[in-house]
Amino acid sequence: MSVKSPEISPYGDSAILIDYKTPSYSDRIHTRLNHLAQTLRTQGIWQEIVPSYKSILVVFDVAHMSMGEAESKIEDTLKTLSRAPRRKGKVIEIPVVYGGRYGPDMATIKKTSGLSYSEIIETHSGQDYRVCMMGFIPGFCFLSEIPSVLQHPRHDTPRAHVPAGSVGIAGWQTGIYGLGSPGGWQIIGRTPLKLFDPARKNPFLMEAGDTVRFIPSSKALF
Amino acid sequence: MIEVLNGGTRATVQDAGRPGFRHLGIPQSGAADKLSFALANWMAGNRWDAPAIECALGGLHLRFTEPTTIAIAGAEMWAQINGMNVKNFSAMPVEKGDILTLSFARDGCRAYIAIAGGLKVAEFMGSSSTYLPAEFGGYEGRALRTGDKLTVSHRPREAPRKIPNGYTPQLSRHIVLRSRPAPEWDLMNAESQRHLFVSPFIATPETDRMGSRLRGDKIETGATRSMTSSPLLPGTLQVPPDGQPILMLADGHCTGGYPRALQVIRADLWLLGQIAPGSQVSFRRCFAENAPKILSGRNSFYGGQYGGLIEGFAF
Repeated sequence: MSVKSPEISPYGDSAILIDYKTPSYSDRIHTRLNHLAQTLRTQGIWQEIVPSYKSILVVFDVAHMSMGEAESKIEDTLKTLSRAPRRKGKVIEIPVVYGGRYGPDMATIKKTSGLSYSEIIETHSGQDYRVCMMGFIPGFCFLSEIPSVLQHPRHDTPRAHVPAGSVGIAGWQTGIYGLGSPGGWQIIGRTPLKLFDPARKNPFLMEAGDTVRFIPSSKALF
Repeated sequence: MIEVLNGGTRATVQDAGRPGFRHLGIPQSGAADKLSFALANWMAGNRWDAPAIECALGGLHLRFTEPTTIAIAGAEMWAQINGMNVKNFSAMPVEKGDILTLSFARDGCRAYIAIAGGLKVAEFMGSSSTYLPAEFGGYEGRALRTGDKLTVSHRPREAPRKIPNGYTPQLSRHIVLRSRPAPEWDLMNAESQRHLFVSPFIATPETDRMGSRLRGDKIETGATRSMTSSPLLPGTLQVPPDGQPILMLADGHCTGGYPRALQVIRADLWLLGQIAPGSQVSFRRCFAENAPKILSGRNSFYGGQYGGLIEGFAF
């Protein structure tokens, strides 16, 4: 079955939103979306290409094209878009220490899910996740859907500080904080890996389209 | 060299920013008011995008250890050299030992100090702009403070220049931003849509390079459940459930989960950098067909490739 065509509409006067308008997360749509984002990137004519769960924001250079020209370039790209390759991005293993001081919200998830600590760990780390978008702060990765039993809304009032490497849950999303930051996600564990390190040659550990696998690890990691 | 005697409220090194990395969570950053920044460099005889100092709200004191030329532009901060008043939006020579002091911003929020040759700071991902939340770029990834020593680069440059009549931007405490409806515009009810374009908002103290929290008539969004996180740009107006909108600025988050009501047009983005806590902020509807005309009009005035004043610059 083919993926429904996205809606293409202006965003301000120098960007375009390509919106798949899907009501919930869909792996199939995200595969297509990510393939489109990568195809646009190879064209080398766009200032920003920002893929997210359901849409792509494309900023064009107003000095070289008009809104109409940008829209028709994107429409042409969509028409000629090849099938998304089956090949996944790179697989990144993330060692995580679950619970305790590294996962202060484990108790909350335990209560709402009715699972034991070890079952929560098993469920959360028992599947691969796709990196859907990179986030609101450098290095933050938004991952694909978690099993419904673990789903839990954000805190009503965000914490003033969530340490870098914290693994959190927000609704059906899970993700990892790339930097220490204020944040409202339910924190269940932490990884010592630096998702963003300005001192590293490639500061980023991953990009949209990659696959993340959580490896439950012992406290000795820290 | 330039010694920082007092960093003031918040002064950072900025240039034209690092576009092209929003998909990695890195905002563009760069001078919040790109026009005043470009004019400061142009007056100092630099390329428009040479690293310069951005001073928010005021209080910056600098001492120069060698004779050079500087230029000041942006918010009026009653600059003085050795206690003598100097004119905003102008270039001036400084001698060894001269002390430049900026008072508190009156109209606008940010002043730019360009130094002939530009500042010499390490680049990160192709830019010298400071991005405070991740502590990279600029001077050690942080705001300037007492005792810092800034090195001046000796890039080839032109003689100092004077802004021709009519080219000095007029700043005021009431910022008017022409805007287009953004993707979740239709979630607002008719009354809220009207409020957005009619009632002025006040910028709260929660105003910095990332964004400005506005206070005003409550904007109702029909959002019944939380949105999945979606892309944002500088100039996007988000409306959280409490109905008090947040306007994203140069260092703003690349994605966000609140409904997006408006997007400020490109020609007015430079004004975002002049929103100070307490400023009035109004939004005016700009029709789609007018936005490119406004932009090309502004560019033909200031944009070098359109026959305007500043070589290489465009809004």
